[in-house]
Amino acid sequence: MSREAISILPILVIFMPWVSLIGAAVFGKRKPAAARAVYVGGTAATLLLIVPMFPRALEGLVIRKHLAGSGPGISLALRVDTMGFYFALLLAVMWLLAVIYSLGYIHGRQTRYYCFLALNFSFCLGVAFSANMFTLFVFYELMSLFTYPLIIHDETEVARKAGFKYLAYSIPAGAVLLAGVILQFFYGDTLAFLGRSTIHLSQVGKPILLVIFSIYMLGFGVKACIMPLHGWVPDAHPAAPAPASALLSGVILKVGIFGIVRVVYDVYGVELLEALGVSLWMLIVAGITIITASLFAMSQDDLKRRLAYSSVAQVSYIVLGLFLLSPAGAVGGLLHIAHHAFMKGTLFLCSGVIMHETGKRNISEMEGIGKKLPLTMGAFTVASLGMIGIPLTAGFITKWELGVGALQAHRPYFIAVLLISSLLNAVYFLPIVYAAFFKGDSKQAGFPRNETSKKMLVPVLAAGAFVIILGVFVTVPGLPYSLVKVVVGSVF
Amino acid sequence: MNASFNHPVLIVVVPLLFAALCPIIGLIRRSLVVWLALFGTACTSFLALSLIGRVTPGNDLSYHLGGWEPPWGIEIRIDTFGLLMVCVISTLGILLVLYSWKYMERELPANRLSYYYTLLMLIYTAMLGFSITGDIFNMFVFMEIFAITSYALVAVTGEKRALRAAFKYLLMGATSSVCVLLAITFLYSVTGSLNMLDISNTLAELSPDYIRVALAALVFFITGFSVKAALFPVHVWLPEAHSIAPSPVSALLSALVIKMGVFGIFRILFTVYGPGFANETANWKSLNEVVAWAAALSILAGAAFAIAQKDLKLMIAYSSISHIGYIVLGICLLSYHGTAGGFYNVLAHAMGKASFFLVAGCFLYKKGFRRIEDLKGLGRSMPISSGAFALASLSVIGLPPSAGFIAKWNILWGCLDSRKYLFAGVVLLGSVLAAVYCLKVVYYLFFTGPRMRDTRIEEAPAAMYVPAALLSLGTLFFGIFSGLILPSLNSASRILMIR
Repeated sequence: MSREAISILPILVIFMPWVSLIGAAVFGKRKPAAARAVYVGGTAATLLLIVPMFPRALEGLVIRKHLAGSGPGISLALRVDTMGFYFALLLAVMWLLAVIYSLGYIHGRQTRYYCFLALNFSFCLGVAFSANMFTLFVFYELMSLFTYPLIIHDETEVARKAGFKYLAYSIPAGAVLLAGVILQFFYGDTLAFLGRSTIHLSQVGKPILLVIFSIYMLGFGVKACIMPLHGWVPDAHPAAPAPASALLSGVILKVGIFGIVRVVYDVYGVELLEALGVSLWMLIVAGITIITASLFAMSQDDLKRRLAYSSVAQVSYIVLGLFLLSPAGAVGGLLHIAHHAFMKGTLFLCSGVIMHETGKRNISEMEGIGKKLPLTMGAFTVASLGMIGIPLTAGFITKWELGVGALQAHRPYFIAVLLISSLLNAVYFLPIVYAAFFKGDSKQAGFPRNETSKKMLVPVLAAGAFVIILGVFVTVPGLPYSLVKVVVGSVF
Repeated sequence: MNASFNHPVLIVVVPLLFAALCPIIGLIRRSLVVWLALFGTACTSFLALSLIGRVTPGNDLSYHLGGWEPPWGIEIRIDTFGLLMVCVISTLGILLVLYSWKYMERELPANRLSYYYTLLMLIYTAMLGFSITGDIFNMFVFMEIFAITSYALVAVTGEKRALRAAFKYLLMGATSSVCVLLAITFLYSVTGSLNMLDISNTLAELSPDYIRVALAALVFFITGFSVKAALFPVHVWLPEAHSIAPSPVSALLSALVIKMGVFGIFRILFTVYGPGFANETANWKSLNEVVAWAAALSILAGAAFAIAQKDLKLMIAYSSISHIGYIVLGICLLSYHGTAGGFYNVLAHAMGKASFFLVAGCFLYKKGFRRIEDLKGLGRSMPISSGAFALASLSVIGLPPSAGFIAKWNILWGCLDSRKYLFAGVVLLGSVLAAVYCLKVVYYLFFTGPRMRDTRIEEAPAAMYVPAALLSLGTLFFGIFSGLILPSLNSASRILMIR
């Protein structure tokens, strides 16, 4: 049983992003400079409010706060445990990078864009700090709905179609998820997250447990883009503006994963999942997703579409790690939440720089682009190497832990999945890097060396640097590994 | 008798008094009538809200009209459900009068305005009386008053289309009234009483010879009230009447008047008959099941028709059929969570749907737009009205954290509680369908049309968008702070199921 404390801090954190909303309302179009300062300030302030919770999170101390509700089931309550803190910290860092980047990238409909960026930030933090499945569902649905304006930001025909597809996947998923929550509430002890199993085989029976589990996987699987529920991802990511794609892929997909993490550790628990025998099925689905999505990614010429398919594959690494149900597997999976966020964040932000500076989307047109944008493409290269899993990058740590996890779980054949996936990653990322730096004649292509504005370059380089930092200084306290260790330690 | 003792009956008497005053004051000074109506509804609302502490679950407030003891005299009996209805009706009443102020000025010639407010006060009187009366014939009288005034309100503009819609409404409404009257005479012939509690006690030990009559009465009651509630398949009068009426009247009809039918069904099924009536539990249960099926069909059919509509007000009207389905389904699940959820949806739907109609009225008033496709980009020129619509649609869809979601959660819980998984599926499917028709409008409002900088803000008068915005905020408020109402609804429903 973990120790608990009561604090108002989680509420402050959740509502801090709303400062940006007020900024938009007050300054909006009249004083753009002031509005921009508020957008960045609000996001940074949120990060600063999250950091003080670090010592408690590292000890595994839980912070609770009840907000509102009317008895069993319907209760809005917040709880910061190590997992929630880890996720919130990641959210805040990614959001700060994305907001700074947006200052250089977004030119039209700024007020709406920053408002919904801030709202989504707030709701994602709400998911991270939810104390029970009810609260998680509330914030999850809000987040799900309010992502739509980000996807169709450009209001082009393509974006509208992508947005429609997104809603067509998300809204039924929300209804399915609601069915899951109410069934869990009806058959389980409680909706609260207590860090242990709250639903019991002896009381409920196997068929119902399996039904609830599948419903949860369907509901969260749409955001976590587990195949065949991934359909919206390759349309929505390219349609959204680059910083929004970076957030979509970096953290919003992970919100679905976060839900699955809660289902695995706080609803079912490892022993019950082993007893149910569902983990193998999930592993197979994740394995298929990893390989198939990578194959799809190879055939895309649109850079952002390729990145989107790559995300589908990479997010399933996390699913794979979780359902290996072994300590190292869990460490690998949970670490990949952050590692993939920074790697794919870098890649999407780079793709945005390329589009912004040259107007090019297609990989076939990017020959020699490294000579025009050396720093950007340098970051792109680092993140690509991370994706492949080259040592000294974040991706290597993930793959190592996942491999160890597969051995611990006595399922060594999943190492083959990891290896094939690495190979495929190399096949679809390295040609881009090669073409960028070594192909094409810079003079002929008319690419003078001309890096992008600092507002966009700094987040790109920072995200790229994180890929190295997370791969080299793995065990420094405060970096994901230290937090994930605590989470996994409390479960296994 | 002191004043506070007369408190319950004042809820009916005060608006009736103002209804009578309206045309008289109208003769003297027309511009005063709207203020008079506002004052009247505010007084009524104050009277209703001040009852909140005095009625607790299982502890009804009983008042004997004229001092005559029931079952001889008429009894006013306010329970938790009646109190909820009274508070919703009277509070919504203020906002609707406020909204009518600007809107009806344009719709009606000035000399007819005072009659409009008279009708409005009369319909409030009747609905309030209907909700709190403990006498079944008195209930019928109030039902007739609100039915007849609502026909008049639909036809109030005197347009040909409105007259036709009102006539259709009148035909169906009159038939349903006959059903209810017939049922009352049946029931009176076997129980010899008109007081609900008295009938209920007599029915519990009804001699076997009379059971068929009592059952026939029950069926007539349900049929009659189903028409008033616009349950599928007797909903046909609703779409035309609700969409052609002036917007504040549409809001009134959708948010409150059809709830009266539901409340009638509830009163008859639970207060008058009750689960244990004359050992006929099986029949009573199967009748509940039938009504629940009609409700489930209403949910799906209403939502499906709503998706197909091109006219905004017609879409909203069909959506009401769907939501009435939720309320009736919740009540007929025979699980106290379902009943509580159904009544929570009374509140949620009253606010959400009234807000919808009021916003539709703002669009009509300012731009003359009825068709959904014409709403392109209105989110930029009419931000507050459109924002109110978007916020209310959260509740109508049943997305968290709105009041509609809390209602849906409880209804779902009720479905599981009574092991009716199919109905749970219907509820979920219904919300997905609701998302289709609501988000379509939100999409047109906010994500199409010209850019922000090319549009000028042309908002409707504040007296129109403020009520709409308040109602929308209300859906959010009661979604987050469901603890204010839900626990007492829960315990009141539990008492109902045990009895």
